[in-house]
Amino acid sequence: MEKSKSKYVGVRITDQQASVLSRLQKDSKLSKTEILLQGLDFLDEFYSLGLDKQPLSEELSALENEALHHAAELKRVRRREEAIREMVQELRNVDEIVDKYQCDKSAVIQILLDIQAENHWLPRHALMWVSERLDIPMSQILHLATFYKAFSLKPRGKHLVTVCLGTACHVRGGPRILDHAERVLGIKAGETTEDLKFTLESVNCLGCCALGPVIVVDGNYHGKMSPSNVGKILSSCT
Amino acid sequence: MNKLKSASDLEELRKQILSRRDPKKPCITVCSGTACRATGCEKVSAAFQGELKKQKLMNKVDFRTTGCPGFCERGPIVVIQPEGIFYQEVEAKDVGEIVSETILNKRVIDRLLYTDPQTGQKVVLEKEVPFYKKQKRILLDSNSLIDPGKIEDYLAIGGYSALSKVLFEMKPEQVIDVIKQSGLRGRGGAGFPTGIKWETCRRTKGDTKYVICNADEGDPGAFANRGLLEGNPQSVLEGMLIGAYAIGSSEGFIYVRQEYPLAVENVALAIEQAEEYGLLGKNILGSGFDFKITIHRGAGAFVSGESSALMSAIEGKVGEPRPKYVHTSVKGIWDRPSCLNNVETWATVPPIITKGADWFNSMGTERSKGTKIFSLVGKVNNTGLVEVPMGMTLREIITDIGGGIPNGKKFKAVQTGGPSGGCIPEKFLDLPVDFDELAKAGSIMGSGGMIVMDEDTCMVDTAKYFTNFLADESCGKCIPCREGLRQMLKILNAVTAGKATQDDIKRLEELSEVVRDASLCALGQTAPNPVLSTLRHFRDEYEAHIKGSCPAKVCKELVTYYIDPEKCQACGLCLKNCPVGAISGKKEVVHVIDPEKCIKCDACFEVCPDKFNAVAKISGEAVPPAVPQGTRVKKRR
Repeated sequence: MEKSKSKYVGVRITDQQASVLSRLQKDSKLSKTEILLQGLDFLDEFYSLGLDKQPLSEELSALENEALHHAAELKRVRRREEAIREMVQELRNVDEIVDKYQCDKSAVIQILLDIQAENHWLPRHALMWVSERLDIPMSQILHLATFYKAFSLKPRGKHLVTVCLGTACHVRGGPRILDHAERVLGIKAGETTEDLKFTLESVNCLGCCALGPVIVVDGNYHGKMSPSNVGKILSSCT
Repeated sequence: MNKLKSASDLEELRKQILSRRDPKKPCITVCSGTACRATGCEKVSAAFQGELKKQKLMNKVDFRTTGCPGFCERGPIVVIQPEGIFYQEVEAKDVGEIVSETILNKRVIDRLLYTDPQTGQKVVLEKEVPFYKKQKRILLDSNSLIDPGKIEDYLAIGGYSALSKVLFEMKPEQVIDVIKQSGLRGRGGAGFPTGIKWETCRRTKGDTKYVICNADEGDPGAFANRGLLEGNPQSVLEGMLIGAYAIGSSEGFIYVRQEYPLAVENVALAIEQAEEYGLLGKNILGSGFDFKITIHRGAGAFVSGESSALMSAIEGKVGEPRPKYVHTSVKGIWDRPSCLNNVETWATVPPIITKGADWFNSMGTERSKGTKIFSLVGKVNNTGLVEVPMGMTLREIITDIGGGIPNGKKFKAVQTGGPSGGCIPEKFLDLPVDFDELAKAGSIMGSGGMIVMDEDTCMVDTAKYFTNFLADESCGKCIPCREGLRQMLKILNAVTAGKATQDDIKRLEELSEVVRDASLCALGQTAPNPVLSTLRHFRDEYEAHIKGSCPAKVCKELVTYYIDPEKCQACGLCLKNCPVGAISGKKEVVHVIDPEKCIKCDACFEVCPDKFNAVAKISGEAVPPAVPQGTRVKKRR
């Protein structure tokens, strides 16, 4: 500490403290003694409130932590509520589809197709709801959902890429197109990329045999494909 | 819209529609089938509508989007009526010129015409195009005349007159007699006589009977039913109505696969419009006959195209077949008599009723009457749908209509009948195509897929392809099919990998027989056909694979890629396109493929310019040793 040069009310203070004191004195129009006395008052209050003691600040930070925890919990509850609301909405959509077929048990495949078309996959809660509404055991619903190729029990990507492997496409090089798409996307047929952007599938015949090899991206047919323009089409998907 | 209440109402409506149409007025038709949509016909259609509006020709020129006329190879196809001027591979940018030149100035645009590859001459008229010339188009011709979304177009070409004739002039038994006399056989595969099926169904006692249209065209490589259902759905509905009247049914189903979204859409629209006119529903045309049709979309299972499986799917169950000790025409959907025919069969019914059984059975061969639509695809110049009289030879279909094999390659085989069919070699090319002759050659008619294969197609690979398809599609209910096909596939995989022995081939034959004889349904019973027919006609290829070479150079395990240092011009194309960096070299240094890294993706083979032709596929021979580093320098010629 710097050596003090002046003395006030019996206290040695530094130059810096002296300049602060004189500025305060100028602003408040109080004598130096009064200012120091007021300072003592503040200190008195500080000590009497126990602000100097460790436990209080710990309590405060504990309170703060609790508040943060509650906020996070609240967020989680809100998110859950939102998810539940979304699921209820989804189930309402399922309801609408079931109602469209007048709860007809024989229309179950049509109902599943409609749900698949809407969600691009069959969530388990939707299947359970169909089972409940149509009074068909869940095992039978799952039997259907796993038997037919059109159904997917896993979420699918934003873009659905289908490579045709029908006979006509096969003899014109369809398997090479699939190989190339697998390499470009880094997934195998039937899989979805981790970022849920692409799902790659193969199909047995789309009936566009005259244009083979054919790929379909999001419902748009592309005929007479070669590996190089597959890359172009895929990279144009955003 | 008023419902039609009698036959005269229908004729009155037809007259009205025709009176509003001027046959001399120019009409632009654009094909809008699935294949042409893939080549951009929707843009062309939009451009035409915009152009007609811009030139204020909306009242002077008709515009129509039609179903598939069949010549998919050259889509999008535009035909200018009434002359029938045929333009191919039309793009949106050609539209302005077509309207101002052809429509207004009556001048033909040379550039858009089809050139006959045999004579090198341009062809102006649709009917003169060699692809169409040799065909006999009873069903497909209507496709190019009507907009599938407008029932009025179907009525204008005489639609529903057969239904009216049946309802008011014929008894159900008479209808069945006409169909029996016509010799019509089911177009779905097995060729069962349609009239007999209807008769069985009619004679079976029961209050409720069903009529079903099978549009689950699962055979890969066949799309005739898609073409009909998309292009002229009303003709299928009319056929079903006539069939329902004949067997005494009042409810029908169309089972259509969901892989055909446009067909589903068009059929749904057609049903709606027919209902509006009272051609479907209660008391049709005031005759007291009721009939309704429900669409059932198939969810993607090949085996569900089998009749008993299809019916179980309509009931909302898994589409697995059952043993057919009792025919489905006796016990079908919910154990009630059900009459199932395929799309093409139903669509053939109205013309038979209108023109008579004798007209129909004057076409075709002794035991196969009428015409048949084939999907001519694969390694052939003019791919698409062709409709020919039964009995035309394979050679005529492939060479005259199909225009032969592209790029001067040699024909090897034609595969008919889908996965249940077989491969027919060159020596049978003069075989007249009908149900019985194809069976003699070890194949079947099936639903009309005709896949042409050239010298670059490996027959063992083809057999493996179908066996893999069937093993995947087997529902697993019976063991011979489920396990037998799996074992057959294992052997075929070994053959294509060059790891099989003569004993394996013998075992493959034995297994084939077991699967054929012991399987529950037609899928398994016919599943060995691709293997048996290729073993019968192309045994030498199996032998070659055992010795370690694939003659067509298709089977990856038996092929090595090699760059000929003499031919390589070090252009860097293959180097740039190799996805795994297996090619080394640089400018003026001959490129070399590292066989360790090569994944045999064929990219280098494809990109190497034809004039260099340096990349070669080698199979069954030793690969020449790599060129030493020092001598790899190449100066560009």
